Amino acid sequence: MICNARILGLGHFLPDHVVTNADLARVMDTSDEWIQQRTGIRQRRHITADAGPADLALPAAREALRAAGIAAADLDLIVLGTLSPDVDFPSSASLLQRHLGIRGMPVMDVRNQCSGFLYMLATADKFIRTGAARHVLIVGAETHSTGLDFSTAGREVAVIFGDGAGAAVLGPEANPGRGILTTHLHSEGRFAEKLCVEVPNSRDHPRVTADMFGHPGARLFPQMEGRYVFKHAVTRFTEVIHEALAATGHQPADLDLLIPHQANLRISQLVAMGLELPEDKVFNNIERYGNTTAASIPIALHEAVEAGRVHPGALVCLAAFGAGFTWGAALMRW
Amino acid sequence: MPAGGVIGCGRCLPPQVVSNEELARALESSADALATTTGITRRHYAEAGVGPSDLAREAAEAALRRADRVAADVDLIVFATMTPDIPFPGSGCFLQHKLGCRTVGALDVRAQCAGFLFALVTADRFVRAGAAELVLVAGAEVHSSALDFSPPGAGVTPRFGDGAGVILLGARPEPGVLAAVLHSDPTGFERFWCEYPSSRHYPVRMELEPFQTGRHFYVLDAESLHAQAEQALVATAAEVLEGAGVGAGDVALALVHYVDPRVAHRAGRAAGFGSSRVVATAEGGGHIAAAGLPIALTDAVEAGRVGAGDLVCCLAFGAGLSWGGAVLRL
Repeated sequence: MICNARILGLGHFLPDHVVTNADLARVMDTSDEWIQQRTGIRQRRHITADAGPADLALPAAREALRAAGIAAADLDLIVLGTLSPDVDFPSSASLLQRHLGIRGMPVMDVRNQCSGFLYMLATADKFIRTGAARHVLIVGAETHSTGLDFSTAGREVAVIFGDGAGAAVLGPEANPGRGILTTHLHSEGRFAEKLCVEVPNSRDHPRVTADMFGHPGARLFPQMEGRYVFKHAVTRFTEVIHEALAATGHQPADLDLLIPHQANLRISQLVAMGLELPEDKVFNNIERYGNTTAASIPIALHEAVEAGRVHPGALVCLAAFGAGFTWGAALMRW
Repeated sequence: MPAGGVIGCGRCLPPQVVSNEELARALESSADALATTTGITRRHYAEAGVGPSDLAREAAEAALRRADRVAADVDLIVFATMTPDIPFPGSGCFLQHKLGCRTVGALDVRAQCAGFLFALVTADRFVRAGAAELVLVAGAEVHSSALDFSPPGAGVTPRFGDGAGVILLGARPEPGVLAAVLHSDPTGFERFWCEYPSSRHYPVRMELEPFQTGRHFYVLDAESLHAQAEQALVATAAEVLEGAGVGAGDVALALVHYVDPRVAHRAGRAAGFGSSRVVATAEGGGHIAAAGLPIALTDAVEAGRVGAGDLVCCLAFGAGLSWGGAVLRL
């Protein structure tokens, strides 16, 4: 009954519009040098007309389905990860289901921020391993740009995030040595306020008030204690990668490729250094897309595969850390 | 192979009870008219400052006590809500901290009124895969802060209440979730949705205009959903009973979760459960999207209506549109 789950196809989509650091420096007090030094980001993509995560997810999902050779109607489950949902409810997965023109199979959102893709991957893995689903579509998608403060008051956060989507289709794998070998999920809510959006807030009566929006520094925008998050990220990333390796009897040196959630290039570099991984064993693309949260890992994994960085039999580690705090890792034999 | 079984449940309803009489003035209606429209006469409201994770904490502590377990035993939290404490991080993270759990995974699931079933099925899969031995499945909502307490809200606002329910799913040799089915169909989901805040709106996801025109309030065209809901609930009952290999007559209690308790009762009867064995979750305290089912299960256990070994059929239909069913052996 228990089989492995394996990624059968990948896809990603990024809006065309490139926003460079220089573009941001024209609307807020920042500079290309400042942004690059702290984050490694050179540019990111933003939507330029109405488009939610489900809209960005659609081409990514179609590409992943094509690559997997699976028809959308044959999916058994769709899971969408986002922290910037299209509407308040229903889930963005419901909108994606509509965009794909299909119905009947269950769809749900997972709201686990930067670790969203790993939470979805672990979930899809468990459904497939236990025979509850054969083909599962998981999509990480974010439209951050409609919720960022592009005044100087928001510069610490607004420069980091970009819009985009990445998708994976998973299915059963008979070979127990291949596919997803292990998944590990964690959370620590005592640091929830270190990186969060505070409102609208069901604890406040009424939940939505006029003073929430339309001005710089509004509470509607994300807040981050950057240095605090950075420090925890380096520790937890390293810890959970070791945990996944230990669970399968591997050493860091066995890894062929590490794809860390693209939060900050400096975090990825410190994690790689701690694990003694050479540069060519770590894939980063944050310099081009910024932090696309739930979408960053599938976008990076897809680019790595397209670039020939993931050969059959390769041991690939996906790892993430972010708001919650939440973190996690998965180990796959490609 | 281990599988998930219900080893404890708990619920929390905030102390403030709000009657139709109290709502009628602001909604410019009468208590009778509200009851006739919605089938609901009372609901509980959380006070300011209380979020779904606070209600879930009380429900979880009750469930842990009943199961004679402690928070440190929990391997995974799965939290279903459509009214999270804050936009992010998820309410599961807050619950992890409030309960004092280890740094276990806290998965936040959004599937609206069927959210608890989605969370329960997910939890069961983690147990069956050997990835967790004790999963805390929470459903919690604070709807009251999102409702329109002016006359346009008269058809919607009285239907909803606040509350939380928790099921502890533990590894057992015999499965406790005998069968489960989940479905979604986005056709016409705007009959039951809330548009704002809306990230897809360029350049800003929330502006004054949609706020001033009330597009941050729930839309619910209940009349247009009833027939579809009833049909789906009946069909789902048949599907899940067949999957479990049991008949409607074998089920000790059917918990039917839908925004209108009268429709839920009709569906339960049409599915063959017999009116004395049907609980409409919305009857006692209004519709509590992700929490209605575990609250109703806890009530039934506490009242002695069901006990160890009994079969319970859970059915839910709601926004998305998403629906499903599960047959549990307690």
